[in-house]
Amino acid sequence: MRNEKEKTVRIYPSVVCLMMAVASSLEATETAFDPQLVMKQLQELRDNQQRLQQTIADQQKTIDALQKLMTGTVAKSQPPAGQGTAPPALTGAGPNGTPETAAAAVADTVRLKELEKKVDELTESSKKTFPSQFNPAIGLVGETIFSYDSNGNNTTANNRPGGFDVYQRSVEMNLSASVDPFALGYAVINGSADAQTGTANMDVEEVALVTTSLPWGLTATGGRFFAEFGREAYIHDHELPTVNRPLVLDRYIGGETRTDGYQMNWLLPTEHYWSLTAGVGDGMGDKLANPGVYREAGGLTYWAHAATFFTLTPDLTLETGLSVMTTPSETDRGGSITDPNGVSTATEKERRVGGVDVTLSYQPLQNNQFAGITWRTEALRSSSRFQFDPNGVPNSGDETTRFEDSFGLYSLLTAKLSRAWNVGFEFDYLQNPENHRYVTFSYSPFITWYPSHFQQLRLQYTHSDRAGSSLHGDDAIYLQWVWIIGSHSHGFTER
Amino acid sequence: MKNRMLISMPFIAALLALALPAQAADKIRVVTTLTDLAEWTRAVGGDFVEVRSLCTGVEDTHGVPMRPSFLPLLHRADMVVLIGLECEHAFLPALLDVSKNAKIMKGAAGYVDCSVNIPPAEAPRTLDRAEGDVHPAGNPHYNLDPVLAKTAIRNLCAALVDYAPAHKAEFEKNRDTYLAKLDTKIAEWQQLARPLKGVKFISYHNHWPYFSSRYGLQYVGTIEVKAGIDATPRHITELIEMMKKENVKVVVREPQFPEKLPKEVAARTGAELIKLPIMVGGVPEAADYVAMMDYIILTCVNAAEKAHVAAQ
Repeated sequence: MRNEKEKTVRIYPSVVCLMMAVASSLEATETAFDPQLVMKQLQELRDNQQRLQQTIADQQKTIDALQKLMTGTVAKSQPPAGQGTAPPALTGAGPNGTPETAAAAVADTVRLKELEKKVDELTESSKKTFPSQFNPAIGLVGETIFSYDSNGNNTTANNRPGGFDVYQRSVEMNLSASVDPFALGYAVINGSADAQTGTANMDVEEVALVTTSLPWGLTATGGRFFAEFGREAYIHDHELPTVNRPLVLDRYIGGETRTDGYQMNWLLPTEHYWSLTAGVGDGMGDKLANPGVYREAGGLTYWAHAATFFTLTPDLTLETGLSVMTTPSETDRGGSITDPNGVSTATEKERRVGGVDVTLSYQPLQNNQFAGITWRTEALRSSSRFQFDPNGVPNSGDETTRFEDSFGLYSLLTAKLSRAWNVGFEFDYLQNPENHRYVTFSYSPFITWYPSHFQQLRLQYTHSDRAGSSLHGDDAIYLQWVWIIGSHSHGFTER
Repeated sequence: MKNRMLISMPFIAALLALALPAQAADKIRVVTTLTDLAEWTRAVGGDFVEVRSLCTGVEDTHGVPMRPSFLPLLHRADMVVLIGLECEHAFLPALLDVSKNAKIMKGAAGYVDCSVNIPPAEAPRTLDRAEGDVHPAGNPHYNLDPVLAKTAIRNLCAALVDYAPAHKAEFEKNRDTYLAKLDTKIAEWQQLARPLKGVKFISYHNHWPYFSSRYGLQYVGTIEVKAGIDATPRHITELIEMMKKENVKVVVREPQFPEKLPKEVAARTGAELIKLPIMVGGVPEAADYVAMMDYIILTCVNAAEKAHVAAQ
């Protein structure tokens, strides 16, 4: 009885402290965020936790003392072996009816009660909720590139300056969580080194809402996102199978298919896979189209994509798609462009791009992580309307409208040698969208090592030939190192 | 132009009709991840279910290729049945994200996680990728323990009853029939596996903690350094040294993994190399769950006897 009282006396302050802490936490959630106040509350919670732990330790001592006392009492009160009249289950005596086993049974009962109490406490503690429990999943991707290019970008028009180069191409933070039962939200915040200054520039690469419960197989996406166009254009840089995005996607689309807009996807209600996508946005690629300028409906970018998939054999599959896009302008975003001859300029007024993509994949089901060959080709046609200025002097009266049709493709073959290694080769062909007579060919063998799912090292050599213009060919070597920490799941686009 | 459209419309309608799923009326459409789950769902659901499995049986459960052809199946499913404990983490969440089917999203009634009430083995003390492709909830390969499989089957039955309470009696009768058959075999397997008590073995991937615990084997290592991390020469050297020291004479290779390394390890330690399926259909002999467990236990016993390490 005394022990019970002691227990009550010991528990009471702890319960009061805990209630005070919870009450103060609740108050804190209703007031403005104050780091000092939070630190103070945190310290109080820690103190309470220490007091509780001390109380539990004290209780354990009390229980041990009680057990010893009861064991002794029961042992003394038990009749000698064989003289018991009550059945073993009632007396708590063992099969032999010995006092030791009866005492042990009583001790077990005490332990069981204590265990139940602890389980109840644990169950109660698991019911606590914290505002941070609704925080989104967070992941971080880093991508560093070491490279050597035989020529400077004054003769190659590459993004990077040439020669020996090391740069942090991107640091990408990914956030995602359900918004409510009807949608999920995600954001990709990207920081990358400026090619000229090396300064890291932060950019919101994607931030979008995706519906999860629209009927009839529909999904709506809204915000800033990578539009579904082609096959590789909406994959992030670090997830590409090669170091660089294929030239044709870089030049005809403007890199990734980033846009501010809305997109609707429809999974047809058939047994066969058919997917149709259509969207509207403000430009596509690395910059928005004519921001801040009054626009008619034709001033926006529209795109559509259809895809299907065939299982040719259990191990051999074919995926193919068609894409179309019309965008008011690509180079208008940065003003007119100067022809490689250094004199004439062209200002793009409209571009239409159509493309077809084919992916043939041999993935043996039994050991697809260790073997497989994939061949992928995307071919795009670009039709642009330019205001062409032969002497490069604006409003000099010699400007004309020029239509330019150009064609480009890439063809990629990758082979998985093991779970950790794959090799591949990409061929790029590009007619310059401003002048189809300027042609670039490039050949890129590469090898990739994956020490784990979360780290990769890729070595790539690229030889480029340029014809028709004053630009020179070059040879480049890249070593790309990509790593991922935090939350990361393989999305369907990386299939 | 108008005529052309009129002519083409019946053709398009016919194409759509051909492409539309031939669905038996009123059946519960269930998509399972693994083949074991498909068998159990058919056994319990009987004529009331139409079951499709994403796996054929030969795949690595952590690396099933995400094929677009899975999407129409998932989109039309009333239920998706999974092993759980993050077994399907590499493919199922991404597929569900684009399945456009709220009925089978995590948390919905159609999302049937069979690991409920299964005590997980090897639940990690810390969650850190330094431990490889760690499963945060514990090892997910409980389907290789037939006693735990019973819990999964009960979970499955409860989900079917929840979905179609009108068929409760049929589902429970089917469940009990299947479990009775399994109970008979479990008693038989317990006897059959007696020579495996204390037998030490290694495998390629960490698939066997539940199986070894059930039948008293000693699971002493894996060829992978850690889950999902390929072996290094140093790891193999240490593994071989340990096997020699501990007299480990059985090497298990799951069909999803290449034979070269297990074969080399077995040759250098004088161990027996055996190939064991991890789900129904993994090898031709594993045509159904009972046949699979028969095959696994008999193959292990034969290997232990051949290696002179079987318990007397």
